[in-house]
Amino acid sequence: MTVMTIERPTSQQTRIDNGARSPLIRLEGLTKVYTEGAVSRTVLDALDREFYAGEFVCLLGKSGSGKSTLLNLISGIDAPSRGDVVIYDGLNAVRLTTLDEQARTLFRRRHIGIIFQFFNLIPTLTVLENVTLPLELNGLARNARSRAQMLLDRVGLGNRLATFPDKLSGGEQQRVAIARALAHDPLLILADEPTGNLDEDTGDTVLALLLELTRNAGKTLFMATHAPEVARRADRVLHLDHGKLVSDQAWRQTHEIGD
Amino acid sequence: MPSLSSLRSIHRQAWRHAWRRPLQSLFLIIGVAIGVAMIVAIDMANGSAERAFQLGTETVTGKATHQITGGPGGLDEQVYARLRTEAAYRLSAPVVESYVVADALDGQPMRLLGVDPFAEAPFRSYLDPGDQTQGPAASYLSELMVQPDTVLLSTEVAARYGLAVGDRLRVRYGADHFELTIAGLLAPSDDLSRRALDGLLAADIATAQEVLGKVGRIDRIDLIIPPGAEGEAALARIAAVLPPGARIDPTAARTGAVNEMTAAFQLNLTALSLLALVVGMFLIYNTVTFSVVQRRPVLGSLRALGMTRGEIFGMILLEAMLLGALGTLLGLALGVLLGRGAVQLVTQTVNDLFFVVAVREIEIPVFTLLKGAVIGLAAAAIGAAFPAWEATSVPPAGAFKRSNVEERTRRALPWLSLAGVGFLALGAGLMLPEWNLIITFAGLFAVVIGVALLTPALTLWSMTGVAWLVRTRGVLVRMAPRTVIRSLSRIAVAVAALMVAVSVIIGVGVMIGSFRQTVVLWLDDVLQADIFISPPSLVSNTVETTLAPALLAQLASFPGIDGAATTRGVDVVASVGADDQIVPIRLVALSQDLSGPDRRYRSAVGDWQQTWQAVRAGSILVNEPMANRLGLRVGDVLRIQTDRGEQAFPIAGITVDFDVRSVVFIDDAVYRRWYDDDRISAIALFVAPGVDVDAKVQELRTALAGEQELLVRSNRGTRENALVVFDRTFTITVALQLLATIVAFIGILSTLMSLQFERSCEIGVLRATGMTRRQLWGLSLLETGLIGAVAGLLAMPTGYLLAVILIYIINLRSFGWTLEMLLDPTEFARAFLVALLAALLAGVYPAWKIGNTPPAIAVRSE
Repeated sequence: MTVMTIERPTSQQTRIDNGARSPLIRLEGLTKVYTEGAVSRTVLDALDREFYAGEFVCLLGKSGSGKSTLLNLISGIDAPSRGDVVIYDGLNAVRLTTLDEQARTLFRRRHIGIIFQFFNLIPTLTVLENVTLPLELNGLARNARSRAQMLLDRVGLGNRLATFPDKLSGGEQQRVAIARALAHDPLLILADEPTGNLDEDTGDTVLALLLELTRNAGKTLFMATHAPEVARRADRVLHLDHGKLVSDQAWRQTHEIGD
Repeated sequence: MPSLSSLRSIHRQAWRHAWRRPLQSLFLIIGVAIGVAMIVAIDMANGSAERAFQLGTETVTGKATHQITGGPGGLDEQVYARLRTEAAYRLSAPVVESYVVADALDGQPMRLLGVDPFAEAPFRSYLDPGDQTQGPAASYLSELMVQPDTVLLSTEVAARYGLAVGDRLRVRYGADHFELTIAGLLAPSDDLSRRALDGLLAADIATAQEVLGKVGRIDRIDLIIPPGAEGEAALARIAAVLPPGARIDPTAARTGAVNEMTAAFQLNLTALSLLALVVGMFLIYNTVTFSVVQRRPVLGSLRALGMTRGEIFGMILLEAMLLGALGTLLGLALGVLLGRGAVQLVTQTVNDLFFVVAVREIEIPVFTLLKGAVIGLAAAAIGAAFPAWEATSVPPAGAFKRSNVEERTRRALPWLSLAGVGFLALGAGLMLPEWNLIITFAGLFAVVIGVALLTPALTLWSMTGVAWLVRTRGVLVRMAPRTVIRSLSRIAVAVAALMVAVSVIIGVGVMIGSFRQTVVLWLDDVLQADIFISPPSLVSNTVETTLAPALLAQLASFPGIDGAATTRGVDVVASVGADDQIVPIRLVALSQDLSGPDRRYRSAVGDWQQTWQAVRAGSILVNEPMANRLGLRVGDVLRIQTDRGEQAFPIAGITVDFDVRSVVFIDDAVYRRWYDDDRISAIALFVAPGVDVDAKVQELRTALAGEQELLVRSNRGTRENALVVFDRTFTITVALQLLATIVAFIGILSTLMSLQFERSCEIGVLRATGMTRRQLWGLSLLETGLIGAVAGLLAMPTGYLLAVILIYIINLRSFGWTLEMLLDPTEFARAFLVALLAALLAGVYPAWKIGNTPPAIAVRSE
């Protein structure tokens, strides 16, 4: 067996070990069951976990293991069958199940940035407008352009502001999606297989960019992926199988070092 | 050639796809159904009215090949006697007939046919004693002669109204009432005779003469003339014994002329009924296009698996045809239901405008159903053909993107617009020369298609303009016009459908409004007297019965009455042109020109005074529809049948008039010189200054109550009555355009639902990014509002164009009326609102549906 190690322990990892810190997110018996006729299928089974600010959490697992469902429940775009997601916004603990649909939307709008596998840029908006969209929805139109410009410069697309998404390559579209996810300075960024639809080189570039931007900004990042090599860079790796949490460890703890 | 198994596979896929998108499939079905239903309903209504007319005239005419007719008073019965004795022509039968009303028969008009029982046998088989099953024995016709005031009616009518032999039947003719006894019941064996008898009361000629006030007179003599030389000789022999006022015409000549009058009216209705189908075709096109675009990966896979282009084309077409067939079946059933209502409306209009027709039996002809079925299926095939062809261009790899369709639409836009301009030119080319009405309507449809083809380009330009205008507004406002532009290929079709429906609302609305206003002004001109008195009539625009001449003197001397004028209207025939074309005309004798300086002439020999002087001297005025129809001009000569033989009358003026029939105005004194007729049709009274007209009307009603059943109406009452008839005439028009708008609405709804379905992932992302449901609603309604607004705006000039065509071309050629166009801004504003509201309303359900889709599912839908 090839045994890998994490060469670069991060400051965040150091903090993880510090059990005295209060969590940013707590999952309490989080369960999702889909029912088709008389058949019920549990895609997420009683997940209890806490996550801390600044962590890069990688969700590993096969297709259908519950990774995307977990991201959907954390973002509030889907509701759990049982259990809850508690997000700590400063001193306030927000229980997502207590929020109605409108409040969940407003919470998501303010605190969460999402990156999809298929980029999902709005085709009728230009590159710049896609990035300013979360800011405008948050009523922050005044500084939206300058912030979007700054982010797009960071992702290397500062010269494509007026371009529409269908004129961009996949990698470029995902870079815009990263800028969009960061635009409104969210507490949490959720990425659902962000490199899954890109070739390896482009995927690496995009991933590096995403990690650089989120880490520099001190953001918490949840990323669902199939790829173990992506997980190598994570602070924590949650391994899911058929909706159950198999392990939750730092990468170095997950893999033995060996030749 | 596809194998049987591949056909089965094609069929299975087509059917399953339709089931998977039930709402879109349902919309297509409804679109076809309404289109087919309108065609069937109008065809049924037109057919029923036409058949009722044919039964009423042709079957009553029986086997007669020729008719001898006289002037307004008919023929002296001695003419018949001379025909039998001097000319020794036996194949002849006298007829006295008119419509009466019997309360016991639901007040429906019944044709009272007075015949000579001894002469009948060769003419009307249903009066043949051999067919009789009840009542007196073989001598039943002579029974009519023996017993005065007796009639025969069909067993079916008797059973329907619970009547039996010996029962008394109270009938009204004009202002007079009569008691008749049922002498026997007729039960003919063949269907045609049975139907002919449905609206008929048969009587001995003497009874009919008495009831109809024609003692000593007969309306016509039916003849059976053999073909060839023998017939020619017989005609010459008959002509020799006829008095100067009588003439012999082939029977077909008159019925043909009457049919022509209603043909234009029926064609107008048919054209309007096709409208819903045209709008429905947009819907079919759009639904099938969506189905193709949404299934592009599947189509690509099927191609990769070996399905040929032909099979793909067949599969898409089959889908549309399957749904089209369902829609057609539904449409046929709906059409039969709607047809019953339409029959009433059409019959009412025919009665209001043309002649008495009572439809007692609504038939559902197989031909009508076949026609509806063929048109419904053809619409589905034509609407689906282009998208099906598009589907064949999906490459096997399935890399065909929706944006490819849009790019192709953009590239096609100049060609599409060019084709639109071409259709407009074609429309103008078909309409401007005075060809027949069907070609004119084809031109009108070409114009509509032309504008529809220009719609995508106009939508693109207007939305680009809107996008520029809102470029500094919020993100939602900026997104809306861009969404329309991005989905132009589909949205433009929905916009075109809505635009067509709304432009027809404007066009027909402006036409009706202008028409109504023109009629109101015309009524101001012609209704100069204060009170009008006439006998009750079965037809709104014709007084068939007469007033006693003595009534005039009685009314003129009534206290508070300052003056009186009379009219006498009769139906006669005139000959026109070198080929002696026979034209039935309404000859109206006026005792004075009440309209005076207000009478409007299209052309005349001089000013109103000079023109009326010419009329006094023996000239005539013809109404505009007649002049237009026959190409008559001032100075032309019209040969009119009089009691002194055919007389030539020069035309002194062509006057504005809104009777659909050919009307000739003549001076009363001149009329009396040429006709042995002292009766009057209506009296107009002028009240003395300061006298209250309404009070005087009441006084007159009270005073006349004991004598005749007369209609006494004030000027205002007459005007209101005329406008009631006017509005009633257009009820069916409004109903038809409403149905077309419903189809357009369904088209928009279907388009929006499909668009929302396509965009559900995008909308899911917006929701995930933090767009609230309310904002989503706002965005959705903004987009649909833009679609409605652009359709409404484009409909305005198109509607105006249609109004111009309807007023100055279609109406003129259909009925000969020249209308003054009245542009009412509220008509345009209302139509714009209809477009906007239809689109907004259509957007509600898709917006609600997508708003309630959890973002997680919406995002997954990619």
